[in-house]
Amino acid sequence: MALLQIAEPGQSTKPHEHKFAIGIDLGTTNSLVATVRSGKADTLPDENGQHILPSVVQYLADSILVGSAAKQNQVEDSQNTISSAKRLMGRGVEELTEQFKSLGDTLPYEFSVTDSSVPRIKTAGGDKSAIEVSADILKVLKQRGEQTLGDKLEGAVITVPAYFDDAQRQATKDAATLAGINVLRLLNEPTAAAVAYGLDSGAEGVIAVYDLGGGTFDISIMQLKKGVFEVLSTGGDSALGGDDFDHAIADWIVKQSAVDATGLSANTQRLILREACAAKEKLSENEQVEITIQFDKTQTWFGVLTRDILNQLIDPLIKKSLMSCRRALRDANVEKEQILDVVMVGGSTRSLRVRELVGEFFEAQPKVDIDPDRVVAIGAAIQANALAGNDPDGNLLLMDVLPLSLGIETMGGLTEKIIARNTPIPASRAQDFTTYKDGQTAMAVHIVQGERELIEDCRSLAKFELRGFPAHVAGAARIRVTFQVDADGLLSVSAKEEVSGVEASVEVKPSYGLKDSEIESMLKASMEYAGEDKDARSLREQQVEADRVLEAIDSALAEDGDEMLSGEEKDAILKARSELAAKRHNATDTQQLKDAMVHIEQVSAEYVARRMNASVQKTMAGHKVEEFDTSDQPQKENCLTKLKSNPKTEEKT
Amino acid sequence: MLDSIFNQNYFEIFSLDVSTDPDLSQLNEKNRELQQQVHPDRFASGTDAEKREAMQKTSLVNEAFNTLKNPVSRLQYMLSLKGVDISAETDTTMDGAFLMEQMEFREEIADVRSQANPLDVLDTMTADVKNKSADLKNSFADYYQQDDLDKAREVVRKLQFLNKAQKEINQIVEQLEDELI
Repeated sequence: MALLQIAEPGQSTKPHEHKFAIGIDLGTTNSLVATVRSGKADTLPDENGQHILPSVVQYLADSILVGSAAKQNQVEDSQNTISSAKRLMGRGVEELTEQFKSLGDTLPYEFSVTDSSVPRIKTAGGDKSAIEVSADILKVLKQRGEQTLGDKLEGAVITVPAYFDDAQRQATKDAATLAGINVLRLLNEPTAAAVAYGLDSGAEGVIAVYDLGGGTFDISIMQLKKGVFEVLSTGGDSALGGDDFDHAIADWIVKQSAVDATGLSANTQRLILREACAAKEKLSENEQVEITIQFDKTQTWFGVLTRDILNQLIDPLIKKSLMSCRRALRDANVEKEQILDVVMVGGSTRSLRVRELVGEFFEAQPKVDIDPDRVVAIGAAIQANALAGNDPDGNLLLMDVLPLSLGIETMGGLTEKIIARNTPIPASRAQDFTTYKDGQTAMAVHIVQGERELIEDCRSLAKFELRGFPAHVAGAARIRVTFQVDADGLLSVSAKEEVSGVEASVEVKPSYGLKDSEIESMLKASMEYAGEDKDARSLREQQVEADRVLEAIDSALAEDGDEMLSGEEKDAILKARSELAAKRHNATDTQQLKDAMVHIEQVSAEYVARRMNASVQKTMAGHKVEEFDTSDQPQKENCLTKLKSNPKTEEKT
Repeated sequence: MLDSIFNQNYFEIFSLDVSTDPDLSQLNEKNRELQQQVHPDRFASGTDAEKREAMQKTSLVNEAFNTLKNPVSRLQYMLSLKGVDISAETDTTMDGAFLMEQMEFREEIADVRSQANPLDVLDTMTADVKNKSADLKNSFADYYQQDDLDKAREVVRKLQFLNKAQKEINQIVEQLEDELI
C-alpha cells in the first residue's frame, strides 16, 4: 500500500484510504510536527523551510506571533513574549516563583491575581495561561500539518516528558483541546525516541534513553523486542534542562560583572540569558568564548568563559540527572552491563560534558548519531500513523508505565500509596474505605502524586467528594473507590458503596496549587528523610487512632451511655478517656499512646459488645433472617477491631 | 475478544501452572502476546465502549503480570487462590526467634554507616537476604503442596519482612552512592 502512494505534498492521491495523523513534539524551547507519508516518517517544514518552531509566543494588542518572529522580539518585549511555557504547565503561582529563583528572584512575567488555580500572565493581548500559550503553538503546528497534507487530520499524538505528573499531562491535553486537536495519545518523549531509534536500527534488547531537553529531563529503561517497546522503568525531573544551564551561566555573568542583580530590568535579564545560551552553544565547538554584555548606556561588561568553568557550573545539574538514572536502573532491576545502547535525545545532549558524564556513568559510548531535536516528533508520527489505523498488520506496540506513585491522604496527613511508580499502564486499583462517624453519608478523598510519606511533601492532584451513600454506624459502610489510569497516564476515579450497592457521586476539584519542591527533590528527600518520616508517621498514626477512639467513645456515650452502663462502669470509661486524651496531646513516643489505648479498650470492651448486640437487633428488627447474608455483615466483626477500624498498612507490603 | 481473562486466575491468563517458580520467559512472552490483542492502542479508532473494554482488559493483564513477576506478591496471590488473605490483620502469631533476628538485622542496617566499608557490608546483607528468601520460597512450596496454609502464610509474612529490609538496604545504598558523586 505504501508503495502505491506516490503523491506530492498537498496532493494526496488516495485521501480516503489513508488517514492522516501527525506527531507533535511540544518542547520547552522548540516544537516540531512530523507525519508518515509513503511509509516514511519525517518532520514538516514551514513555508520558509524551517522545521523547528521556537516555542515562543508574543501577545500584542491585536495579533499573536508564534515562533521565530516572537523569539526575535523576546528581549525588547519580554513582558508580552512568553517562552518556556511548558515549565508552567500544571503549576500554581507559588510553585512557579519557587521554581524560577534565579536572576533577581523573579520570573520576567507579571501574573494577574485571580481565584483560579491556574496562573495567568498579563500581556498586551490579555491574560494568558500556559495552557493557552501551548494551544497557540499547537495551532500553528496543526495548520502546518493540514497545509502540507492538504487534508483533514484524523488526530495527533502529542509527546510529554515521561516524568510529567497527572496535572501536567492534563494541562497538555487541555491545550490540545483548545487548539482543536483530537488527541490520539499522549506519548512519553523517551518512548517516542525509542520507537524512531529502534525501528531505524533494528536493535533488540534493553536500552536506556537519556532525554535532556530545554526544561525537562527523562530517563527510561526499556526492552525492545519484535516491534514491542516495553518501558521497564522511568525517572527524571520535570524541572531540569538546558534552561538551567543558561541560568547557571547567567548567574555567573551577573556575579562576575558585580552589578546589582535585583536592579536588573526584565529585558536585561532576557539579554543576559540569551548571551548565556549563545556562549553555551559556542563552547561545544570552542575551548573558550568571549562574552560582552551592555547593561545600559554607561555600563558594559566583558569576560571570558572557558570550558572548565562551564563544566564547574553545570556538573551539579548533570549529576542530578545521573541520580535519576541510577534509580531507574534499580527500579527496572537491570544492571548497567545489560544495557545495549544509551540513546541520547534532546538538544541539551549536544553538550560535550553531558555526553562525557553519561558515558562514564553507563560505562558505554552514548549513541549521538540521531538528530536529537527531531527524533521525538518522528517517533510520535510513527505511533500516530499506527493509531489512525494505517498499520493494521503492524506489530508496533508501546507499553508504558506510571512515572510517579499515586496515593491518597489518610487521617493525619499521611500518604497511602494506591498505585506504585513504574506500574505498567493502563492500571486500575480498587481501595475500600469506611466511615468513621455514625450516620456519615459523604466522604472527602484527597489524591496526591509523589513518593513521600507525609501528604504535604507530595503533589496535590485533586480532591474528590463522595456523596449520597446510605448512613450506617461508624465503620459499617464499605466504600469501594476505583482508581483507573488510562494509556495516556491520566487518572479517573469512581466510587460505590458496597453494602447497599449505591453508586456514590464523585466531584473532582483539581488542585495545582501546592508548593513545589520539584518532583526530583521530593524523591531525593524521601530517601533522606526516610527515618524521620517513619517516626513521625507512627506517632501521627497513633494520634489519629487515639482521636478515632475518643470520637467513638464520646458519640457512643452521648447516644446510649446512660442506658447501657452503670454509673460505676461509666466513670471507669470516662477516667480512661481523659487519660487517653491527655496522652494524645502530650505523648512524644508511640508506646505511651498505645498503652493508653489498650487500657481504654479493655475498660470499654463489655460496653462495645453490648452496643454491637443492640445494633444487630435493631438492624434485624422487621426483617426476615434470610435477608441477611451474615457472612458479609460487618456486624460480625470483632468488636474491638471495630473500635479501631481502618487498619493501616504498615505491615502489608 | 479475550473475554475469558476475566474468569481466569492470573496463572491461567498466561497459560502457566500455579507454581512458586513459573517460567518467567513464558510470562514475558505471553504478556507481549496478550498486550498485542487487548492494548488500547489497538482500539484507538474504535468506539468508546471498545476503548473502555481495552483499558479494562489491559489493566487486568498488567495487574496479573505484575503480581506474578514479583516473587512475594506471587506467593501471596497463590495463598489468595486458596482463600487465605495475607493482608488481613487477624494473625498475630509470628515466630518469635525470627522477629528477634529481624529486629537485630534492622539495627545492623541502621548502623551500617559506622562500618569501615558500608557498601561492602550492604552487599553482603543483600546476598544474605537473597539466600534466606530463596530458602523461604522453597519451604513455601512444600507447605503449599501439603496444604498447610497456616505455615505457608507465615512464610510469606517472613518474606515480607525480608522484602522491607531489602528496601531499607537499597535506600541506604542509594544515599551512600549519592554522597560519592
